[in-house]
Parts: sequence; structure tokens; C-alpha cells
Amino acid sequence: MTNIAIVGTGQTVHARRRIDVSQAGLAREAAVEALLDAQLTMDDIDSVVVASGPAMFGAVNQPEKWLVDALGARFKPVVRVTSGGGTGLAGALQGMNQIKAGVARRVLVVAYDKLSEGALQASISTLYDPFWGREFAVGIMGFSAAYWRARMDRLGHTEEAAAMVAVKNRKNSMLNPKAHVKKEVTVDEVLASRPLCWPIKALDVPPISDGACAVILAADDDAEAITSTPAWIRGMAYYSEADNGPHRSMLQSEPLKIAASRVYEKAGVTNPRRQFDVAELQEPYTCFELSYYEGLGLCEEGGAAELIASGATEMTGDIPVNPSGGCMGANPIGATALIRLAEAAMQVTGKAGAHQINGAELALVQAGGGWANLRGVAVVGSTRG
Amino acid sequence: MAASRRARVAVLGSAQTDLRAAHSDRQHVDLIAEAVASALLGTGLRMTDVDFVIDSGSDFLDGRSISNCGFLGAMGANHKEESRVEEDGLWSAMYAATKIASGSASVGLVVAYSKSSESDPRNYWSSLAEPFTQRPVGLDQHSAAGLFAQRYLARYGIDPQALSAVSDRAWAAAARNPQVDADEDMLRDESWNEFVAAPLRRRDMARPVDGAVAVVVTSEHVARQFDRRPVWISGMGSAMDQHFLAAREPTSLPAATAAAGAAFRMAGAASARDFDVVEVSANSTVGELMVLESLGLAEAGTAIGLYGDSAPSGLNLSGGALPADVVMATGLVRLHEVASHLAGRTDRDPAGAKTGLAHGTGGLGMQNHCVITLETS
Repeated sequence: MTNIAIVGTGQTVHARRRIDVSQAGLAREAAVEALLDAQLTMDDIDSVVVASGPAMFGAVNQPEKWLVDALGARFKPVVRVTSGGGTGLAGALQGMNQIKAGVARRVLVVAYDKLSEGALQASISTLYDPFWGREFAVGIMGFSAAYWRARMDRLGHTEEAAAMVAVKNRKNSMLNPKAHVKKEVTVDEVLASRPLCWPIKALDVPPISDGACAVILAADDDAEAITSTPAWIRGMAYYSEADNGPHRSMLQSEPLKIAASRVYEKAGVTNPRRQFDVAELQEPYTCFELSYYEGLGLCEEGGAAELIASGATEMTGDIPVNPSGGCMGANPIGATALIRLAEAAMQVTGKAGAHQINGAELALVQAGGGWANLRGVAVVGSTRG
Repeated sequence: MAASRRARVAVLGSAQTDLRAAHSDRQHVDLIAEAVASALLGTGLRMTDVDFVIDSGSDFLDGRSISNCGFLGAMGANHKEESRVEEDGLWSAMYAATKIASGSASVGLVVAYSKSSESDPRNYWSSLAEPFTQRPVGLDQHSAAGLFAQRYLARYGIDPQALSAVSDRAWAAAARNPQVDADEDMLRDESWNEFVAAPLRRRDMARPVDGAVAVVVTSEHVARQFDRRPVWISGMGSAMDQHFLAAREPTSLPAATAAAGAAFRMAGAASARDFDVVEVSANSTVGELMVLESLGLAEAGTAIGLYGDSAPSGLNLSGGALPADVVMATGLVRLHEVASHLAGRTDRDPAGAKTGLAHGTGGLGMQNHCVITLETS
């Protein structure tokens, strides 16, 4: 049984517009920081996985072929995985499989998006079927708003509850040196912010960022030789749901439930609320964080509003969610999933600095993409388990 | 690492749609579903037995972001693990093989497709160039191939007229391949002799086609449960060269050499000449010569000799990529072709073939390469 660990992490400074670097330079910045963290050089890396959001976001087709020079990966195996917002986890999963299969010892996973260089919502609109879906589905917001509206009635995911997510995550961002947005807000300000696609309002929405993240994966004794503080990946899965059909119940995400149950089983998690010390969840809108509380079993179905109101998911609560500030702090879409994984690794190795949760040993990671139909879950721990 | 340490991975079934200049009466989902259903047919496995799906396609060609999302149903990926590898499908096959070798799963489906007739493939190629120095000067797949061809032909003193032996043989083989819409007389039309990127003519360039291919890979345990003759993945490797064309080797493809080297080490093969059946991808006739040399099938500057009377019998029996370039699926079609021959599933199988090599490439001027070797027990 091969155990895989994260032995180095790196993140860029995330910003609305990084005009000082190209896409290749952005990815390199994160890779260099991860290599420094692991005290390795590219000579030590056998294989590179590049993960990014849809290529149209940055208007460069198959950008890994451009990045390869800046990453110092010439003549190494380099492959790109893309899976919408959750692509960082999909990329890490490919890296883990390479190591477990024995085709690589150490894998560098780099995820990035430079959203200042493309037409984001126009690109997202092309998600939908050109014949049946594109006429009325504009961007991802209308779709998300419709399902939040349904969850309001059925699960009590009120505007106030979602606003509390915005307040919490923006407050946490204040402690994260890498965060792009640092401005606290109140529930009233969120509720009074401009409706973009009701019930989604301006402050329910994360920023749009340029940014990159990198992690280095290694196994077993090799991981322990590289660092005294490996963050062990105790389980990871990434599941999909087909088509945008009427049978899909978006009240609870099926692929999220499948991924969570598989990963929990592997990691020996039977009581997520009690066992996890911290969680990093990718929340493209505030309403999604509420939905994930339930899908991940942090509370019962319909209990999300109560959970956020109780303060349990704040930094001082018993299950802090997004001490990094989540996507509200920085949202380079293609990198957000790997940022969640890196932040979880930082938490269980005590490297999270000002937003460290004291004594965190087991962390939950969630990220996803597509039209809310690609869902990934990971568990990261301070021990092999 | 020793091959014996790695769990064996079998190719239990594979299938492709017809490769046509345009499947104008069928959508992406139709092509994908046909390839997937046909690949499973006869394996004894059903869609419910498939643990995961890895797929290759292009958002740029499909005109659709996260385009895998639209095809998950056709690929049978609903409520399964799925990932999009946005490289040629051979890289998806490599991912699927590692996922099985790692013990993470037992049955995987690899899918690749392109329908370039629905968009302009020139945009796909030109958008591969980085946007600051290469894209503005108009580099695309054709000009990149032309630049390599000029240097290659000059260095080895080869007359461009000699290249017709390469395209003639490729199209003749494709004409014998019932799944490619080619006939031998096609190249007689004068339009095929127009210059596209001197010294290369239209007949020298890979022709983009529509199609889909699917491959079923399994663990040894699963493969042994069926009486179908399994084909085993014996080695695999990939490598990517640097991006800037001007900085690359002018007449060889060292990334192809590196990819092949990794695959041969894993397979315990001394050279590409050890394989009975070889299927390679290329962007042009000169590209195909460079691939053959870089893989080790000929010395530098001599691959044109493989197209004479002493041509190896097991080379690109399908016709290769020149008559039928499925863009994101071309390498995986090569794997399907090799696996089919080794399993004895076509009426064009070379007698006694036991080992095979499939090659895929991608990027501007064939920047990256992937090699998977196969064997029957």
C-alpha cells in the first residue's frame, strides 16, 4: 500500500490582474515556491501535471505546451488535466496515480488561471449545449441562482445564511497573506449588495483573480526523506454526473455524495463533523458552501443555515471552514481546487501562519467544476493513518 | 523501475468510428457513443462494470468550455470517476493504465474524439502558439511543418518529390482500411499538389477528419476472467519538448526519443525495431520521417528508405495520421489499431505479430510525444 504525501506547496500572490507576469511566469512563481518549500529542484521531479480551467478562459489552447519552458520541464512527461473549477484535484489525482503505478517518484502538480486575459462569462456560457442550452443559460450564475432558490424553499438556505458565509470567509481572508481581496463585510452589506441574478448578489460572489498554486507529491519513505512534515493524502476522488437533465436533483449533489463516501471510507471517517479539524471548501458562490456542509455530512440535510449561524465553521468553531478565506479571498478558478488542497496540507503541518487552526491533524478538502456536475473530495492528515 | 514490480494492464477491447472528412449527419455524442458501445462489445464487460472514464477532446475544436461535460452521458461516465486529459488520447490511455496499475481501479474506459469539420482547425493550431512572439507572425501547424521540412530536406539532401512515396503509401494503406474514407485515386486530383507550406504540398499534410475511438483497459485479474485474448501494455512513456520553435532541434524530435526510451526501458525492448506492428502519428510526410528516425526505426536522414521495396511490413498498416488525423484522437486510434492486430481482430493482421508500438503526438510542430508498447502473452 503506497501512501502519497504533499511534500511542498507554493502559491502566487493572487490579484485581479497580474500584469507583471505572463501565464507561464505565473505558473512558474508557484512552482518555484513549492520547490523551495520541499528543498527540491526540477532535477528531482519526474513528471509534471498542469491543471487549469477551460483553455478559453486564458485564450491559449493547451497552455501546458507554453508553460513547459518556464517550468523547466523540457523532456519530462508533462500532461494537462482540465476539469473546470475542480481541476486542481483532478490533476493531483493523476499525479497520485503516476506515483502509485510506479511510473514516477515525484510529481509536480501546477494549477493556474489568468482570468484577466480572457472573457470569463462568455467562455462559461459555451459550457451549454449549442442547440438546447445556450439560448437561455447565460454564464454560470443563472443556473446557480435557480438551484439556490430551490434550496431556499426545501432546505432553508436563506439569503441571511449565505450572507454569513460571505462575512466569515472575507473575515478569514484578512489573515491570509496570499489573499487578493481583503475587506470585511457585514451581513447587512451582503444583503443590500447589488443583485446580479437574484438571490445571488454582488457580495455572494467571489472575486476574479490571476493566480497559481503548486504542490509536490511523493510517496512513503521518500516523502519522509524530503520533509519532516509530509501532509498525507488519506483519500481523494473525483466523480462526475452526466448531462443537464431534468432528473438531476441539485438539492443535493450526487457526485459529491459518492466522492465523499468513497473517500471517507478509505480515510476511516465516520463522523466528519467530529473527526475533521478543519475544512477547505471551494465556494464559487456563498450558497454552494451551505450546500457542501450537507453534502459532506458536516450537518444533516437542511441543517446548513443553522450550522453557519452557530459559528461552528468560524475560525474559533469546532469545524472551521475556509480559514484561508476560500474563493472569497482569491479566485483564480483553475487553481482554486489545488489551493484548497495546499491550504489543507499547510493546516495539518502547522504551516498556515496567521490563519492556522491550532493542532489541526485532519483536514477535509472539496472542489468541483463544470455545471456543478464534477465533484472532488480529499482528506489530508498529519499521519499516514 | 523494474517492469515486474508493476501490475499488468490489459487492453481488452477497442473500437473506432469510421474516420471521415465530415460526419455531417451525426453529432459528437453519436460518434462517441458508437465507439464506446463497440469497444465494450465482445469483451464480456458492460458499462456498469466500468469504474472510470478518461477522455481526450478539445474545448477549442468543440467550441465549448469544459466540453467533456456535454459528453459524459455518451461516454458512460455518469456517477463515475472521470477526467479530461486535454492532450491526444494516447495520454488518456497512459493515465488510465497508471490508474489500473496503481490498484485504484479495475476497469477503465478511454475515449478520444474530434469533429474538426464543425470548426476551423487552423484556429485550433494557431491558438496553440504562445500569444506574444509566435502567434502574431502567423505560425500554425502548416507553417511549423514547412519550417521543419525545409531544414530536414536541405540537411539530408532529399528531393521534395521523393515525399510522394510517403503520402502514396499512407493513402494506399488507408484505402485498404475500411474505417477511413480514402481511396487510392484521391491524390490524383491536382488540388492535392498545391503548396501549403513550401516545400510541403497539401498531399504532404495530415488531413483533419471527424471520428471517435474508445479503448477498454483492465487489471490482469479482470482480463483473466474472459476468454478474450488479452493484449498487455508492456511499456509507456511521454515527453514534451520546449515550446519555442526556433529553439528546437531542426531535424529531429528528441522528445519522441525520450518518450520511446522510457517505454522501451519499461518493456525491456532494445529498440523500436523489436516491434512487429508499429503505428505512428505525424503532422506531415516529413514529420512522419522524423518520427520514425526519432523512435529509432531508421538512422537520421534515412527513413525515406522505409518507403521503398524493403518497407517493413508492420508499419502504419492503417495508413497512419496523414490520410486521417483525428486531432485529439489520432494517437489513440494508433493504439486501437495495434491492439486489434495483436488480438487478431482485423482481416489485415500481419501473421504472427506479438508485439506492437503506438505513437501519438501533439502541439505545434509535434512538441510532445507519447509511446505505448503492447504485447500478447
